[in-house]
Amino acid sequence: MIVLELIRLALQRLGAGRLRTALTALGVVIGVAAVVALVGVGQGATSGITARLQGLGTNLLTISPGGAVTGFTRGAAGSAQTLTLDDATALATVPDIAGVAPEITSQQLVVAGTKNTTTQIVGTTPDYQTVRAFEIWQGSFISPLAVEHGLRVAVLGATTADDLGLGAEAVGQTITIGGLPFEVVGILQPKGSLGPFSQDDQVVVPITTLRHAFNSTDRVRTIGVSVDSVATMDAAKAAITALLRQRHGLDATAEDDFTIQDQAQLLSTVSDVSTTLSLLLAGIASISLVVGGIGIMNIMLVSVRERTREIGIRKAIGARERDILVQFLVEALTLSVLGGLVGTALGVAVSAAIGTVAGWGIVVSPWTVLIALGFSVLVGVVFGVWPARQAARLDPVVALRYE
Amino acid sequence: MAAPPLIDLERVGRVYATGRVEVVALADISLQIAAGEFVAIVGPSGSGKSTLMHIVGCLDRPTSGRYRLGGVDVASLDGDALARLRGRSIGFVFQAYNLLPRTSALENVAMPLLYQGVGRRARLERARAALARLGLEARAGHTPAELSGGEQQRVAIARALVTEPEVILADEPTGNLATEQGAEVLAIFRALHAAGRTIVLITHDPDVAAVADRQVHLRDGRLAA
Repeated sequence: MIVLELIRLALQRLGAGRLRTALTALGVVIGVAAVVALVGVGQGATSGITARLQGLGTNLLTISPGGAVTGFTRGAAGSAQTLTLDDATALATVPDIAGVAPEITSQQLVVAGTKNTTTQIVGTTPDYQTVRAFEIWQGSFISPLAVEHGLRVAVLGATTADDLGLGAEAVGQTITIGGLPFEVVGILQPKGSLGPFSQDDQVVVPITTLRHAFNSTDRVRTIGVSVDSVATMDAAKAAITALLRQRHGLDATAEDDFTIQDQAQLLSTVSDVSTTLSLLLAGIASISLVVGGIGIMNIMLVSVRERTREIGIRKAIGARERDILVQFLVEALTLSVLGGLVGTALGVAVSAAIGTVAGWGIVVSPWTVLIALGFSVLVGVVFGVWPARQAARLDPVVALRYE
Repeated sequence: MAAPPLIDLERVGRVYATGRVEVVALADISLQIAAGEFVAIVGPSGSGKSTLMHIVGCLDRPTSGRYRLGGVDVASLDGDALARLRGRSIGFVFQAYNLLPRTSALENVAMPLLYQGVGRRARLERARAALARLGLEARAGHTPAELSGGEQQRVAIARALVTEPEVILADEPTGNLATEQGAEVLAIFRALHAAGRTIVLITHDPDVAAVADRQVHLRDGRLAA
């Protein structure tokens, strides 16, 4: 096969001028490495964020009170307190719902022995654990009985437990919250933070207890609802909306006085945004790929000029235009593919390093690698064809006379 | 002459159009060379020898008249077919040797076979045999820079012979060589001719031309009697 021979010829030629080969390929190396690394980092960040959002609870709907409307001004969501505990109780009857967890919160000073911390106290029901997807590390979660009787029991978030210097042995001990004694019944597994709000820095107590101790109103801040499956999400949302509107006595023209936030929606929005962002970055990075290609074209043109006599000799002894074309094209392609391979390796290494530091692990899809290599082949062909045609079309008589 | 001539030039002319001026390099050349002949084309510089060699060697085409090589009219061939014909029928020997630098003598000699699609192993074997015929077995691994002028020209002759061409076309093959080495090269041509090869030797030097059986004189682009 003559093409194989021409590849061998190109490799020999490139091997003879290693420094020049390396410098020429460098442009493509940088371009491909940048594309692979940026796409890798983008995908890593996306999967990291997705994993954390999923950690907030699967199939979660969060119902918040709507903004208060005073005159013509609408306040922020939550500024009106339209949701009640009875709303939460009524929601449990909606089909397709796995759990309902109303939440009331209060900032309180928590003291354990000589240590203290001020943190958020969440009053809720046993469903909170499934709705917000918490795992118990030690002890148990608050029980239905505790909610029913308003017992002074508390489950500590991992960070709060740390702050208070409490470990596994803390279960059964007594701490004070806002001056009142509470028995620690459990400690939660850490989940990591989402933005500035750490889900691990909180104390969970029965909703009834919190109301009696710190807060007399029956208005709740949010109601978390977990739906059976993603498929029934829309149906559940509609059913909840209908029920709450009816309970709040809104007529057909009135706006909802509450908001339902859909976790799945948020998730897809976030991953859409980060996909777009990483594509944008890859687009910018591919500019350097084009610059690398121009570098290859430049060197190939110089090479054709330098080797005019060689081309003349080859033509005189029987090389056809196609043979010369293929020889030079193969050289350009070898340069760009070489650059592509080294660049891919470099890009994977960089995104792996960043992934390790950022904690989402190594995320490099084989597609990224294939596309990057495909692009480097394309660069080789696009920027190699012109110099190769120049070489192939040389008049042998002129080329032989060239000094 | 019973057999048709191997090389058949019929009123061949070659005109170069450089800008507005037309330069007539060759005019009205009619020349027949039969297989097995040893012909010298002799003329001073500027007489059109090189142009004639390019046409006979199928590197260039006449602008008028007709050239047939082995009965094939070159005007009917496209670039690729011409390249194929060149590779198969013509063996070039140049004044400046024209070996590829940084490439071993063996690879240089094997190169024409690459373009005929001969496999690597067979190529190297035939190249080695061609070098051996010229007494250069020991030099096979050397690059042109490591060889003397005479040796380089012998490598170039081996390269011309490796495809077993119908014609060896030599353009001032002794021009860059010392007298002794030149004589050696001319002796090789005599020996090849004795073995039945057709040889066309182009030179300005009457002493060199004297080794040929027939001399054709060229002056100002025309054949002199």
